[in-house]
Amino acid sequence: MARPVLRRVGAKDVARPRVAHLDRDRHLVEAAQRDPARFEALYRRYLAQVYSYAYYELGDHHDAEDATERTFLAALTSLHRFRERARPADGEGASTFRVWLFRIARNAVANQRRHARRHPTAPLEAAPLVADPLDVEGRVAARDEAAAAWRAVGRLPADRRRAIVLRFVDEMSTAEIAGVLGRSEGAVRVLIHRALRAVARELGRERP
Amino acid sequence: MTFAGRDALEVDAIRTDRYLESLLAANDRRASDAPADAELDPAVRDAARRLGRALVRLHPSFRFEERLAARLAEVAATMRLSAAAGAERMQPPPARLREEADPLADDPSADGADAEAAPGARAGAPATHFPRPILIGGALTSAAISIAGAAYVAWRRSRSPQSPMARAARAAHQARLGDEHPRLAPRGPGLD
Repeated sequence: MARPVLRRVGAKDVARPRVAHLDRDRHLVEAAQRDPARFEALYRRYLAQVYSYAYYELGDHHDAEDATERTFLAALTSLHRFRERARPADGEGASTFRVWLFRIARNAVANQRRHARRHPTAPLEAAPLVADPLDVEGRVAARDEAAAAWRAVGRLPADRRRAIVLRFVDEMSTAEIAGVLGRSEGAVRVLIHRALRAVARELGRERP
Repeated sequence: MTFAGRDALEVDAIRTDRYLESLLAANDRRASDAPADAELDPAVRDAARRLGRALVRLHPSFRFEERLAARLAEVAATMRLSAAAGAERMQPPPARLREEADPLADDPSADGADAEAAPGARAGAPATHFPRPILIGGALTSAAISIAGAAYVAWRRSRSPQSPMARAARAAHQARLGDEHPRLAPRGPGLD
């Protein structure tokens, strides 16, 4: 069973830009490339992000765990292939470990989804919503709103849904999403904008 | 970033992107909203705020987290051992394993507009395989010694003793074996 993260990554450092350094993982990656046992630090840092991405894509905790496991095992055994290309001059769009990891996750999720199709489980829209950890009183209205939002996202085409999840859940920049999805930044911006317009239409229809 | 030379959709997308950037930063500060461009569609703004509240980040169970951490540590230990055992003798894995082990092998369906399935070539292929090193030199040497030893013993056993002294020594050896292990003693006529 999944549990919500109580605090978003980066919340403790307000003054820090959201995408501080594209090569912020460089030291951890280099250490893990020298000694695979040091990979654990990268694993702990990105576990929730990868799991969340897999869960929102697959809608099933077990499938999400399988995809997460495959992602990190593949990343560990292929880490020697990763080359950090981010330099200050590269600016937005440079390669980062997180982008590389999520490209692996994207493939793992695609494989997992194919497996799930052969062994159908609950459909995506029927996935149980996790209660807001701050919603201790269990306010029905808030849960309904979250459910409606999730239904609207679940009806989006796959590429728009993926971009929305990476933007809102994993808090990726447009440049990072472009790297994960293999698209230009402009294309990702348009993708997200169209997705939000579609969600707005869906939510407008559901309103009494 | 200027709006010159861009069509209306691109301009709207840029406005939305800027708003999302400030909205997510506001979430970090636990603020409920962020300033937006006056031109931004209010419906898009409202949808973004609702998604910002609804799409929370999740964490797997502690049991899963620790189990996977242990599995990764196990794999890491194997990788270290493999590297220490003979990195210089490591051969590239066969093509099949290389393909399976490539986590970034192109997956056309993953980026498709509405694709949901992965290509059949990778169906069910565990992404957890990693190539084992093949110690070619040591294995070949060991096999060669074994084959040479077996051939030498066979050759020696097939040759009959040439000298009378050798024949006598072999006969004495056989007799002693017969004393110690009666079932191995040569049987002659009338001994039964």
